[in-house]
Parts: sequence; C-alpha cells; structure tokens
Amino acid sequence: MLVLPPVSVPSLRTSPTLLEISADNWRLASLVGVVVSALAVAALPADVAFWIVGALVALVAVAFVVNAYRRRYYGGLLVAPAIAVLFAMNIFPLLWSLGLSFFAYQSNRQSIWFVGLNNYIKVLTNDIAAADNWHALINTGMFVVLTVSAQMIVGFMLAMLFAKQFPLRKYLLILVLTPMMLSVVASGVFFTYYYDPTFGILSYAINSIAGGQFILMDSKAGAVAGIVFADAWMWSPFVMLLVLAGLVSVPKYLYEAAAIDRVSAWRRFWTITFPYIRGLLMLALLFRTIEAFKLADLVILLTKGGNDTMTISYHLIRIANEQNKTSEGAAISYIMLFMVIVLTNLYLYLANRRTRES
Amino acid sequence: MMTTKIKVAMVAAGLAASLMIGGAGPSLADEVTLRMAVPDWPPTRIMKKFFDEQYKPKSGNAVKLEVDFIPWPDFYTRVNASLTSGERKYNFIVSDSQWLGAFVEGGYFRKVNDLLEADPEFKKTFMDIHPSLLNAYSTYPYKSQNYYGFPQFPDVLVTYARKDVICDETEQKNFLAKYKKKLPCTGEEIDAMTWDDFRNVGEFFRRRKGEMLAGKPAEDDFYGIAVQAGKGYDFSSMQVNGLIWQMGGDIWDETKVPKGQAQGVVNSPAAVKALEKYLSLLEYMPPVAKTGTMDIFKTDELFREGKVAMNVNWIGLGEASLDPKISRVSDKLVFGMMPGTTGPDGKIVRWSNIGGQPFVLTTWTTDAQIKEAVEFVKWWLSSGIQHQFAAAGGQSGIKSVYSDPKYVAYRPWNRTWAPSLDWQKDVWHVPQFFELLTQQQDQFDRAITGKQNAKTTLDNIAKFQQNLLSEAGLIK
Repeated sequence: MLVLPPVSVPSLRTSPTLLEISADNWRLASLVGVVVSALAVAALPADVAFWIVGALVALVAVAFVVNAYRRRYYGGLLVAPAIAVLFAMNIFPLLWSLGLSFFAYQSNRQSIWFVGLNNYIKVLTNDIAAADNWHALINTGMFVVLTVSAQMIVGFMLAMLFAKQFPLRKYLLILVLTPMMLSVVASGVFFTYYYDPTFGILSYAINSIAGGQFILMDSKAGAVAGIVFADAWMWSPFVMLLVLAGLVSVPKYLYEAAAIDRVSAWRRFWTITFPYIRGLLMLALLFRTIEAFKLADLVILLTKGGNDTMTISYHLIRIANEQNKTSEGAAISYIMLFMVIVLTNLYLYLANRRTRES
Repeated sequence: MMTTKIKVAMVAAGLAASLMIGGAGPSLADEVTLRMAVPDWPPTRIMKKFFDEQYKPKSGNAVKLEVDFIPWPDFYTRVNASLTSGERKYNFIVSDSQWLGAFVEGGYFRKVNDLLEADPEFKKTFMDIHPSLLNAYSTYPYKSQNYYGFPQFPDVLVTYARKDVICDETEQKNFLAKYKKKLPCTGEEIDAMTWDDFRNVGEFFRRRKGEMLAGKPAEDDFYGIAVQAGKGYDFSSMQVNGLIWQMGGDIWDETKVPKGQAQGVVNSPAAVKALEKYLSLLEYMPPVAKTGTMDIFKTDELFREGKVAMNVNWIGLGEASLDPKISRVSDKLVFGMMPGTTGPDGKIVRWSNIGGQPFVLTTWTTDAQIKEAVEFVKWWLSSGIQHQFAAAGGQSGIKSVYSDPKYVAYRPWNRTWAPSLDWQKDVWHVPQFFELLTQQQDQFDRAITGKQNAKTTLDNIAKFQQNLLSEAGLIK
C-alpha cells in the first residue's frame, strides 16, 4: 500500500469580520462605498460627488483585489483587468445613462431633478413625442426587414458563386469585398450623386431609355429603395464572407458520396451544404439585424430622414445630441436596448432549438 | 581672500543683471492664446489670414489665435459636444445667432455688456453695427439690451442670375410677349422682382435638353429658378420665414413673451398663403427639389454648373460662383436683391431671414484672455480691417464701412447689401430653438415632398410650438 507523505498546504487567511479594518475586507469597503457615495451624491455638488464616488469605486476594487490575492483566487485576479476595463468603458456608462433616464436633464443646462418614469411615459405615450418615436420605430422595423433580407439573399448568392473556382475569382472577390471596407460617409456621398436626378448616372441612364424625368428619391418607396440598396451594397459582402467560410468547410467526400448516390442538387444542398452554413447564416442574421436596428448614417447622408425615412437611431441622435434632451434620449436608448435584447434572445433560442433538433 | 572678492563681484554683477532684466527694465511679454471654433469657409479663413499677417497686439503680449476649422455639416455637432462635455476648449466660438439662447442659458456664452461699458471706444464701434445685425447676432433675449456676440460674417439672401441667359434678346422678346412684362436683366431690374416675377422666370426657362436656350440648343435640361428646399438644418425655414413675413404673416414672436401665441399666428391664413406660394415655386426648380434634399449647397452647385437661370442664396456662397475653376458661369453673373412682395401701398416688401454668424466669448475665458480678446474684436471691427475683409469677399455690418462709396465696388453683390439690411429679421433665439427648428423642418419636408398641404403643415407646426413653448413657460 502506497502511503503518501503529508503535503504541507499553506494555511489560508480567514475572512475578516464585517467591521474589522483590513485591506482585504471587501464587505466593509463595499458598505462604506455605498453609504458614503449616497451621502456624497445627496449632499455635495455633482462634480465633487462624481470624484468621491469614483474614489470609492477604486477603494472597493482594491479591497476585492487584495482579498483575491490573499485567498489565492488567481483566476479572478487574471480576469480583473478585463473586468475593470469593461466596467469603466461599458457597464459604468450604461448604468449612468440608465440613471439619467429617470431624471430631467439636458446636457446644455446646469439643472437636474428626479422625474421617475416620466421620460419613459413621455416617449411611449405623449401625443406629440410618442407619435414621432413610434413612427421612427415602425420605419426602423421596415428597414430591418428589407435591408437584412436583401443582404442575406445577395450575400448568400455571392457566397455560392465564390465557393466555386472560376477564372479571375481572386480579383473579383477583392472587388466584391471593397464596399464593406469603404467608410459609410464615402459610400453615402457616392450614392447621393448616384441617385441625384440632375447629375446622377441612375436618372441619366433611365431617362435615356424611358424618356421623361426619373427621380428615385421623390417618394417614400424610392427613398427607402435607395437606402436599402446602398446598405445591401455595403454589407452583403459581410454575409458572403461568413457563408463562404461555412461552404469551404464542407468535406468534399460528402459531395462525392452524394454524386455516387445520384442525389439531386436541391437535396445535396439541403442535407449536406445547409447544415454546415446554418450556424453562420444565423450569426450573419444576428449581426446584421442588430446593425440594421441602429441604421442612421446612410439615412442622414441620403435623405436626412426626409420623405418619411426617419429611423429610431437618427431620431435618437437628434433628441440627445442636437436638442440636448439627454434624459429623454437615454429613455429611448433603453427601450431600443430592450428590443434588441429580446430580438437577440429570440434568435439565439431559435438557433439553439434547431441545433438540438438536428 | 582674492577668491572671496571675485565671488562678491560676481554676486553683485548677477544681482545687477537680474535687476536690469526683471526689475528696472521693461517686463517680459506674456504669451496669450485665444482658441476659436469656426466653420471652415472663406470668411473665417480670411480672418485667420489677416490675423497672422497683420495683427499686432497693443499690449505687447504675444497673442496667438488658434483656430479649429470645422466643416459646416459637422459644425453644430462639434461645437455643441465641446460645450456640453465641459472640456472648455474654446474662448471664442462662431455661433449661429439662433444658438444664443441655448448656450447662454447653459452658462457657456459670456455677456459682454461690462466689456462694452468699460471701453467707450469699443462701445462706439459696437453701436455702429446695423441694428438688424446687432439684434440678431448679439442679443438674448432677442432685441433686448443684453449683448453677447460680435459679427464675424454678416450675411443676407440675394438673387444670383445668369445675364447671358436672361439678357438674351430673343429670350427678352419671348418673355415680354408671354408675360407682358420685361424679363429682368440688370441688377436694378432684379431688385424690382416680386416672387410672382420669379415664378414666371422659373416657368419661362424650363427647357429640355436640345431646346433653344439663349440662341443655342441647351446642353442639358435647364431650369429657371432655385431656392433652398432641404430638410437638413434650416434649409427651408430660412426661405419660408421671409415669405411669411413679406405676405403679412408671422412666426412665433419671442419679443411678445409670454402673451405671443403660436396657434393662430404660425398657421394664420397669411402664413398659409405664403407657404403655398413657396411650394408653388418647386415645380420650376431642378428635380432634386422634389426629394427634400435641395439645400443651399445643392442650389449653389446647380447654379455654378449652369443648370439654372436664377438662384436665391446667401452671399457667403457667392465667392465660389466667381471662381472660374469651379464655376461655369463665373463671367456671366449679375446680382440683385431677393424677390419681394408688392405691399398694399404698391411698394415692395422685402422681409428676409438674416444669415451670417457672430462670434461669442465663452464664460471660462480668463481675464488676461478677455483683455486680448477685446483688443482682437476691436481690431476685427476696425474700419481698415473691415474694408479689407469686404474687399476679400466678406461683408461688414459696420455702418461707416458699408456706407463708404468704395464698398459697392468690392464685389458684384455688394450693391444689394445696404438696402437689404433694413429688411432683416431673425428666427427664434430661445433655448428651445433646436426643437422648434427640427420639427418645423420635418413638417416643411412633408410639404415639399408632397405628403401634406400648406395648411396641415402650419397647423402641425403651430400645435407643436404652442405645446412646447407653453410647457417652457414662454406662452401663457
């Protein structure tokens, strides 16, 4: 029988009690942080309170780090820098703006007061403000459906094309990918001239063939078509890249076996190709839907929201940045965020269900 | 012993030298930097050039003017972000006059009454500014005695026209036969134009490619008129407001707070008729007018490319039309006042929305900077510099400068400058300006793109303004 020698394990420190003053007492640090922060926010000017709260957050963070070091939670220590950056750059601004949405605050004024849910009630129900918000939201929904559909179809077809080998494929692929690499502003200016009824090539070409005066952007349908086309032109290559990655990963022997069994092209696609690209298609759908929900840049460049093409993101930019209605803008942002989270989870649920079924 | 003597001598010499330099002699010049945010266009470039070449501070300090040239489309966003973020970067900001209320109430723009009172020479120059410009560029509340800004580049709307087209004999003959009125050709004849005459020019000069235009087949489709009709920023309000005032209507008048109403004023029958008149012009303009994207830059481009006979636009964009490198019509130009409306007494009513920008001081500018800033403004508004500015393509709001007979010779449009000034009014200066403007622009866009008529448009605007301004306590 093998008898192992006793291993000496260094004794771990016991956790300090709540009121014990110690560098690793994160409980006490947290308690002090919350109480002093609340008092500072309530009693001191905002610019002083801001720095006091910041210092207390740093104090609590230090207590957590010392605690992790003394108790050898090295895993926690290793991810701490990433969590700190995430907190400073994402979580803190997110919480800050969430807080602002419950106040009446305009960034170009010095006053601020608590209004509870009033901003949410206003953006959802006020007969003037809410009408604009709902209208912009409906337009956004329309753009999401149209732009994402166009990108998925065009991107998928391009991927099917480029999955095959043909002369000049390499050069054409670079050409097709170029729009995705251009800045949106450059593309927007390009399309502004492309659609211009006096200087643009589109009107010139159609007028030459059909006569008359063709103006694409003089109706809502035309303006929407113009924006959807420009967006699809820019982002279909992104969908293509993802789908192409799936297509090249399909093992060749599966196609060879299918050929021996004389399987039809449709069945070959549905039973061999599609299962390999389904996950990537869902990923492309997810990414592009989230992006389409935020569509503002092309709208600003092509129509300024005119011809009834206002989207919720552009509307939000105007509310928060141009009109400086920060709190109202924050409330709209959180409603948008909620919608995107619901939509994303719905996608993920569907994707996971299909994966489980398969 | 000897060593001690040398040390004492050296210390004495050092002391004497330091007294010479730092005490008994003249003091060293301080370095003062003034930071300015300006839109990137010729009037501000010229100002910076003049400063670098000519400005010599009376204080003897080394004064530096650091200018951020910001493209026009981003200008408001950048300035607004800079101010509201609290970075306190700029001492001077070129501001649209309408921004005054929003940024004064926010505590960003500095009132300058004390600076004017402290310097009679400065006040005298300041009070020599035309009252329309002074009210628009400097006062908040509008037309009050609270002063904030100084004119950087004052501006008005004028009519740009192509004399090769409108003065052509055949065109003149045909126009007379059709409308029983002479087709305006000279600057004075353009001055006398009403909006009805302007509309006739639009209708008359609509030509298809290949049709005869001034004795030659038109190279491309040609249009008679262009005026701003864009959804962006203020690119329809600035034109519509003028028409409303000319035809006896009004916008919400902030000088009547709190009794002045929006409902019944903004959508009065006169205002509706004015908007209808504006909308009726659109069909004679280049087709881009129907898309709601015909802003001042587009009309300028169309005019310089030779696509229209007449264009109503700001003087600030005129310099480009004279440049043969970027203008196909640079040698064919004639300028007149913006069209007016014939009043009950038979005289032309010319109310127009003022353009141009003041520059303002920010509240965090230090005393040392303020001292130099005042000297800089006095230098900028001095007669010599204002004359040079006008000669280089700028405009002056100083009466003694623009009344000088030399002034009209600087640029072809300067003839219209002084007579236009008496007819300038400004849009709202209140802090709610941006909400008022964006909603109005949205509504005008719906009318321009044919989605609703003038009455519905002004009813919607009036309802919105009444609600917003009542909530803000400006209407009771």
